Amino acid sequence: MIDYKALMAVIKSEADSLGVKEYEIYSKSGSDTTVETLNGEINAFSSGTFSGICLRVSNGGRMGYAATELMEESEMRSLVHRALENAKATEKPDEVGIYSGADSYGMDKNPRGASQMDAAELKSIAVRTAKGLYSYSDKVTDGTSTAAQSSSFTVRISNSHGLDLEASATVSVVACEPVISDGQAKESAYELMKLDEDSDIDAMARQAVDTAVSKLGAGEVKSGKYNVVIDSRRMRMLLSAFSSVFSAKNAQMGLSLLKGKEGERIASEIVTITDDPMRDGACVMMPFDAEGVPTRRKNVVKNGVLQTLLYNRETAKRENKESTGNASKAGYASPVSTSPYAFCIEPGDRSLEELYALAGDGILITKLTGLHAGANATTGDFSLESAGFMIRGGKVCEPVKSFTVAGNFFELLKSIAALSDTVELSVTGSSTTFGSPYVLVRDMSVAGE
Amino acid sequence: MLNRIYAEEAIGIAMSTGADFAEIFFEVTRNGGITLIDNKIDSVADNTITGVGIRAFLGTRTVYGSTSDTTREGLVMCARAVAEAMGDFGEDTPSITLKPMEIQNIHTVKTPPLSSDIKLRCDLLREACYVASEYDKRIAQVQGNITGVEREICIANSEGLFVTDRQTRTRMAVNAVASSDGENQSGRCSPGRSMGLETFELFPPREIGKTAAAQAITNLEADYCPAGEMTVAIENGFGGVIFHEACGHSLEATSVGVGVSQMCGKLGEKIANEKVTAIDDGTVKNAWGSVNVDDEGTPTRRNVLIENGVLKSYMIDRLGSRRMGMKMTGSGRRESYLYEPTSRMTNTFIDNGPDKNEDIIASIEYGLYAKSMGGGSVNPLTGAFNFAVTEGYIVRNGKICEAVRGASLIGTGSDILQNIDMVGQNLDVGQGMCGSSSGSVPTDVGQPLIRVSKITVGGRK
Repeated sequence: MIDYKALMAVIKSEADSLGVKEYEIYSKSGSDTTVETLNGEINAFSSGTFSGICLRVSNGGRMGYAATELMEESEMRSLVHRALENAKATEKPDEVGIYSGADSYGMDKNPRGASQMDAAELKSIAVRTAKGLYSYSDKVTDGTSTAAQSSSFTVRISNSHGLDLEASATVSVVACEPVISDGQAKESAYELMKLDEDSDIDAMARQAVDTAVSKLGAGEVKSGKYNVVIDSRRMRMLLSAFSSVFSAKNAQMGLSLLKGKEGERIASEIVTITDDPMRDGACVMMPFDAEGVPTRRKNVVKNGVLQTLLYNRETAKRENKESTGNASKAGYASPVSTSPYAFCIEPGDRSLEELYALAGDGILITKLTGLHAGANATTGDFSLESAGFMIRGGKVCEPVKSFTVAGNFFELLKSIAALSDTVELSVTGSSTTFGSPYVLVRDMSVAGE
Repeated sequence: MLNRIYAEEAIGIAMSTGADFAEIFFEVTRNGGITLIDNKIDSVADNTITGVGIRAFLGTRTVYGSTSDTTREGLVMCARAVAEAMGDFGEDTPSITLKPMEIQNIHTVKTPPLSSDIKLRCDLLREACYVASEYDKRIAQVQGNITGVEREICIANSEGLFVTDRQTRTRMAVNAVASSDGENQSGRCSPGRSMGLETFELFPPREIGKTAAAQAITNLEADYCPAGEMTVAIENGFGGVIFHEACGHSLEATSVGVGVSQMCGKLGEKIANEKVTAIDDGTVKNAWGSVNVDDEGTPTRRNVLIENGVLKSYMIDRLGSRRMGMKMTGSGRRESYLYEPTSRMTNTFIDNGPDKNEDIIASIEYGLYAKSMGGGSVNPLTGAFNFAVTEGYIVRNGKICEAVRGASLIGTGSDILQNIDMVGQNLDVGQGMCGSSSGSVPTDVGQPLIRVSKITVGGRK
């Protein structure tokens, strides 16, 4: 085992001897176990453990970073020297230094003592899921896979002001991807679900098969403008792809069109977006952010009006504000940035039937792909490969595919005409997750035949 | 580097419960990144990634374990966990003898990026970003980064293989944002090579900055792209992403080996227009996607995938080779020790064809000229793919006309390969990071100018 305390002591003594007054050690360690099946049989098992630490030093008015997974004394000393060198090369002034800590922190609501599922449990779940798929439909064919995974991580922040925080989380999930064939065409569908006392694996398997089967025989769509219902999962994917527009850093850099819009109407008045580090149903809950600042729930958009962007200490200082506790790191080695926690468009008051009825004639979008390339957060523009179902006379009808839906995220927020009354959060192993109801948007551009 | 004696011990332990093959992958990777915002160096960071991945096979069943603890104890614990998970099919610990093998590094490096002075790297980045910010007064923001990777890997397996490789990569990316009347448009240029800072002798920083800024300005002046089915000419370089998405992923053993690719069972069949010859070549000197050996220790090679429209080969890793009963093609890759390797592309391109570039544009009565492309994605089962156009122009009566923005192209691989009906002669490559089940790996995509007779253009008008 790695002796964390001994390694910290090496860093402290090296920092002291070099006269470095302010520094922070951010460490992340974790482990995971995964069992996979193919065609109903267990075909792969994997497990891993890792730990890495990142040193930030604030020295001479500059911040420098260095990180490593090599847990040796000589490497700890090297880390201090590298972080100092990197600080020297940095030109941006460090206006906030290392955080000295808050008086109190919210409860760590991650289930205490929750342990990772062992290999035997995961094997049984992966196999049971596969059996569920095959027994539900004889259209399920070769290439069908399932996986069960359990992972946990611990984040620790220790700094030269004496702050010492730790949070851990364990997440177990099951996923399935049935391949179905009607003898001519093949289709597939993917479902992922968090494993807890309430999880209904058989229902997930049935849902996946139904989804895949429903895609068979999909036709094409004529290009034009359509009323569009975007389902909950696709809308939260869009929200995720454009979430960086709510970052104060991006706004300050001129990379977000929400710059200077706090207090202004940016969305339809039925739209409220919240960010909640402790939202019920989130896989991971974080009581402190990547700088050690306590996290809290906030309205980001309230009845269409932008209330706040997401700030870390540096971006808040530039606008004489307080951090919203949204400092984050993309990986343990990354510089401090900002990101949301459970970032959700709050539900409205319409049932799905009412939403389809309001759409009248249009398209229900149940697939959006290529968001990493086809969605541009700087401009808000998107043009994405889609599939779904025609809505005729307020009813969901035949499947359609091979079309694109194009628009602009900022315009879309303003033109949301109705929201369904349920929200489903994405299942992730990190503290960032997204949620949305189904949304109705009128007159969106669709390119097909 | 990996201690040979420890490796022999760990492989023996991993096979002790009946596995018929075991392998250790060891790496020490140093990453360094410098970011520049507003003409100021914003952050400088470096990272040492190290760990081992141990894998065992019994037929096509696989067990994989990974750890960042590279001590002897770490290796033994990881190997024991692998053996335990494999089950109980035997109890002999085989004696393994590894035979160190020298691999010639054909990708020579003059100035390794991370050993070089930080100031030198900062200056190169500063020059590129300065040129971008001065390009036009509507350029509102320029962000750039320069990254270097120095990766040492060692792969040992129960067949006696013990091979090491050193991989060096350098890349610069400049993102420019043009702004006017409350609207933003962006442009990007991001060349890279498997070499050191001499990369910027091939790609002068000022050209990188200028290209990014010019693209942002073009898009700012452009109207939305029309939507519908059109004839599209796709320019060389990163335009090759169309082949990467529309066909490349579907030729990987990852999907072919388990029967979830539209390309299953099609070897020897004509799957593309006869003008199409496509190649995956991991041996191109200093190319972004090149490696001397793959992450399973197999030397890379030039794989002709499609020759004159006929499917000739898949891309096959070690597990895929077992599943498909075909030879490995040097295609086993992974982002790091945390990932089990699988079949991946290296440098994949459509080769030069018979058509003159000017004839391709002249042949289009009305259509789209896609000059620059972003990334995309594909579902190998159905072949449905998409990718984004980052700089496009309308073609009218054989002439390139006004710029249009916000377009994407979608289709299915099998249709598009038949619809590539003209192939030009200016083959070039572009650099990307390709994401799949074994993580994010550097790949080149490439092609000359091509014409696709019919494809769906996703626009807003």
